[in-house]
Amino acid sequence: MTPRPARVQFFATCLVDQFFPAAGHAAVEVLERCGIEVHVPPDQTCCGQPAFNAGFAEDAAAMARATIDALSRSTDPVVVPSGSCADMIINHYPELLAGDAAYGPKAKALAARTYELSQFLVDVLGVDLPAATAGPSLAYHASCHGLRGLGLREQPRRLLRAVAGDRVADLPDAETCCGFGGLFAIKMGPVSSAMLESKLDAIERSGADVVVATDVSCLMHIGGGLHRRGSRVRARHIAEVLAGPNHD
Amino acid sequence: MTSPRERILASIRDGLLRAHLPADADGPPRHAAGESAAPTVADMPDQFSAALTALSGHVHRASGAAGVADVIAGIARAHQAASCISWDDEHLGCAGLLGVLSSRGLARVTYDVSGEPGQRAVDVDALAGVGLGLTGAHAALAETGGLVLVSGPGRGRLASLLPPVHVAVVAERRLRPSLSALLREEPDLLDAGSNVVIVAGPSRTADIEMTLTHGVHGPKHLHVILTA
Amino acid sequence: MTDAALAFHRRIDTALADAGLRRALTLTTGRLASGRTGAFGGLADAEACRQEARLARASAVARLDSYLDRFASAAAARGSTVHWAETAADARRIITGIANDRGIRLAVKSKSMATEEVELNEALEHAGVRVVETDLGEFVVQLGGDRPSHIITPIIHLTRQDVAALFREKLGAAPEEVADIPAMTALARRVLRAEFLRAGMGISGVNLAVAETGSICVVTNEGNGRLTTTLPRVHVALLGLERIVPTAADLASVLTVLARSATGQASSVYTNVITGPRRRGGGRGGPEAGDPDGPEELHIVILDNGRSRLLGTPLSEILYCVRCGACLNVCPVYRLIGGHAYGGVYPGPVGSVVMPGLHGVEGWSELAHASSLCGACRDACPVKIDLPHLLLAVRREAAARQLAPLWIRAAMPVYAAVVTRPWLYRWVGRAAARLARVVQHEGWIRRLPGPLGAWTASRDFPIPAARSFVEEHQARKAAAR
Repeated sequence: MTPRPARVQFFATCLVDQFFPAAGHAAVEVLERCGIEVHVPPDQTCCGQPAFNAGFAEDAAAMARATIDALSRSTDPVVVPSGSCADMIINHYPELLAGDAAYGPKAKALAARTYELSQFLVDVLGVDLPAATAGPSLAYHASCHGLRGLGLREQPRRLLRAVAGDRVADLPDAETCCGFGGLFAIKMGPVSSAMLESKLDAIERSGADVVVATDVSCLMHIGGGLHRRGSRVRARHIAEVLAGPNHD
Repeated sequence: MTSPRERILASIRDGLLRAHLPADADGPPRHAAGESAAPTVADMPDQFSAALTALSGHVHRASGAAGVADVIAGIARAHQAASCISWDDEHLGCAGLLGVLSSRGLARVTYDVSGEPGQRAVDVDALAGVGLGLTGAHAALAETGGLVLVSGPGRGRLASLLPPVHVAVVAERRLRPSLSALLREEPDLLDAGSNVVIVAGPSRTADIEMTLTHGVHGPKHLHVILTA
Repeated sequence: MTDAALAFHRRIDTALADAGLRRALTLTTGRLASGRTGAFGGLADAEACRQEARLARASAVARLDSYLDRFASAAAARGSTVHWAETAADARRIITGIANDRGIRLAVKSKSMATEEVELNEALEHAGVRVVETDLGEFVVQLGGDRPSHIITPIIHLTRQDVAALFREKLGAAPEEVADIPAMTALARRVLRAEFLRAGMGISGVNLAVAETGSICVVTNEGNGRLTTTLPRVHVALLGLERIVPTAADLASVLTVLARSATGQASSVYTNVITGPRRRGGGRGGPEAGDPDGPEELHIVILDNGRSRLLGTPLSEILYCVRCGACLNVCPVYRLIGGHAYGGVYPGPVGSVVMPGLHGVEGWSELAHASSLCGACRDACPVKIDLPHLLLAVRREAAARQLAPLWIRAAMPVYAAVVTRPWLYRWVGRAAARLARVVQHEGWIRRLPGPLGAWTASRDFPIPAARSFVEEHQARKAAAR
């Protein structure tokens, strides 16, 4: 287990920053409640994953360098409320910048001290969360990049079970991709929509009030579909659930 | 003037100079991964039996030519097989078996497919109506319920392939945990015959609507007689 | 978008509208995938088995020239005739030549993706050789003039009624002969047995070749792989040059994971290892001391057709593939659109790398975009190929060749320029939030313009927050001081 840090840098990710700030505020609150001082580097923007996934390596590299700069003014660990963005920094920044004499080593150094939120809470802090309280029933969707890229199989589930007890269960087919996939949702619209439908049907089958995940990218896609269907099910980021009833 | 072989090999060498092969795939392969749950000698007959039965094969126990012949005659009767294609007696692991079977009314049909195409077709056609094939086995694999059959003089491939019923006589002491274990013991096994086949159960397919059926091309019924 | 890409999207639309196909895909891939999970669960150390299989393949590919040459020498030393086919046309020419030189008019085939890749059947038919597919699914495909839709189970897109109708029409089958699946299977067995007995040539693929002994391994469940390679006098095996392992022990390592990955079986029914043609007698044993049966001739045709070139690209890891189909069965996209939509011989995740790799990015890169990069394929691969990494490599190659849609090519540098200038990013964010407030409806956007409209075809789009997280956080901290 990594030694417990006193302070972390928070990389909100562009989707949280622009579309779902509540998830970011909740994440900061949870970290502060664990006694961690949270610094939010003000010049953070976007990790560049959409360009990387589209095959535009040069553009992605430019954004990677900018993000590395923003997060390397200090050597404090970086916490990211997104499995896919954390995966980008941890697993892809080093290979993307492998040929860059200056930023290659910086990418490796950053990757070594970057964590997805639930990974940080469980693996680094070994946190104990307040016991289950009453609230809505939750269905957990396992976002792909965190699950398979970072191996986040247990950590989010553990946190959710601690906080929500038997109010939380896996969605049927929890580990099946929701169909967001970044630009995939637009380039492969009909397939993405069909995958979304399966996910929405599973949510309906679960009977849960809230679908929860570690990535707002999935939640934006799922939430957009739920709203279009007129569903009363809400889509919430894990940080909001962990932060407590005010955020549900 | 280079040959296709030289050009292909050169193209491969050229490719290897630029290849992006993952680093983790270096190092000589080891061959023990499947072995940690190897069964004991005592467990192997039961493990083999369970595995083959689960594949719709049948396992019998018998000993001696008479005992084995009893089982085979019973199987032949059940499938109305009046004749058989067989390995030579010395490879069945049960001395005198063919003689006893003959006296029980199961005649052996011999064949010769080495001739010219026309003659070959005639001889093969004559085998078309044979109801039972009889072989021994080089080894049996407990993990998968598989039989290892090595072709050679007196050990034709067709016996385990053409007739709808295949009966194999195997001594228990020829059981091995797995193919990997067998190969560790016999690293030159693949050179022992032009054909080394592992048969794990009767022929099967699920091509139509994922519905399992047996006896597509190979035998529909597989019986293994384990002898002491 | 290129014509090829447009055609791909049209085929996808057709597939998505086919409810019957969807049901069949869900049933088949679901069963195969759960079979795989169960079968690997039965291994004491599944991860070690995968790693061992990977090493067996990787060590061969890493020194492919050496092992291939060794294979060819070993095979020749044991009586096989080895041919080298640089292109698909060469393979066709070699094999039709073997048939024509011997006056062969009928060939039986066991399932081989490589023979489909080189379009062998048509070439043989043109050369006066009737070709009969003997794998039940491929037999049905051939009867119907159809194409397989899955690497392992070729006719998941057909119902039993489809097959019954085909048998009645093409084989003149009586109603009782197609009454149920066992009946149809028995009919196929009878029809094909007659072909096996008469064929002058048997054609197979090769699942794996063993370099040290020049052996080829052909794996089937039906037994047609054995009949094809035993009854006819001449056996021709088409071997993709990368499908090799160094030793017999390596073969066993890969076999441990192959059937488990493909169908969920611990072992295929027939694992057929062939080392040379029928061994002749002679010498002290006399002619009777040879093999009683088996082919008189074994021809191994080593096929390049772009594989050696692929080896020198960032896609080289795909050469470890053993064509088990596991990646298809877990791919959420394949499970929706099936094999035909991909438009090539190899579908699914592996096809999305192999098709551009062998046949060029221009015509095939769109396949690599038909993925959300979820990674399920990587987890399922028995030799741990990092398929998402390879898909990204195809995408990079496509982008470098200006194959991305115009709006994406235009948007990327703008996106990068904004993101690398924090002040501009903040400004754009604020402007977007203001704009959204105008077009929003109850906090959501119901219709996005242009290509982005694909999103709002089935989902609403959230509006940007009034105040971004970073700005709000800074404001709160300032207020707290």
